[in-house]
Amino acid sequence: MSRGAGNSYRIGQVSEMVGISADTLRYYEKIELLQNVNRSDSGIRLYSDKDISRLRFIQRAQKMQFRLKEIAALLSMREDPQQARAEVRLRTQTKLDEIEGSLRDLKRLHHELQLLLNLCKGSEDGCPIIEGIDRDV
Amino acid sequence: MPIQIEIFSSQACSRCVRTIDLISELILEFPPGQFEWRKVDVVEELDYAVDLGVMSMPSVAIGGELVFTGHPSGSELRDALQAQLLAADE
Repeated sequence: MSRGAGNSYRIGQVSEMVGISADTLRYYEKIELLQNVNRSDSGIRLYSDKDISRLRFIQRAQKMQFRLKEIAALLSMREDPQQARAEVRLRTQTKLDEIEGSLRDLKRLHHELQLLLNLCKGSEDGCPIIEGIDRDV
Repeated sequence: MPIQIEIFSSQACSRCVRTIDLISELILEFPPGQFEWRKVDVVEELDYAVDLGVMSMPSVAIGGELVFTGHPSGSELRDALQAQLLAADE
């Protein structure tokens, strides 16, 4: 279904596209994580590409264990960074710091696992991965 | 204080023996007490190996910094040791 310059999608399509149930999509609208979702003349929800982009952002933030309340603040920053309140900016900075910390941890874990895998490849008998994991148990 | 040479190895690394032999022979070319070496078992000291950026065996760190990944040639190793001595003098 087409609407103006962008696309519009019904709730079932959106649910399939982003992997979020229709009930959850309605709930996000109710708590205003999604705002101003368009309606057709007969009242059917019509989601825009911008709504899809917001939903994908919500999913990414949830994967980072952010709470819905925190996500709402980040979304307001995403919507209008110049006008964001100082408190929202501070919260965004805090989240950015948390992400950077997680990235450092992930990078180190990546390095450690790569090293263990390389050891395994060069090993004729036994696999040091098992010894490395056992060491920490 | 002697400069530490560390050879990162594991029990299953047959190529590492060659690197250990090379290092233990090569430091004899230098005046006694300038270098000392130790074998680091990466499984035993995994955190330290990751800290230095070790990714494969053998790897060689000199003075606490990873210098070689893989087996170095005699001349490469000699140059690296001389560079360390010069840096220590400065």
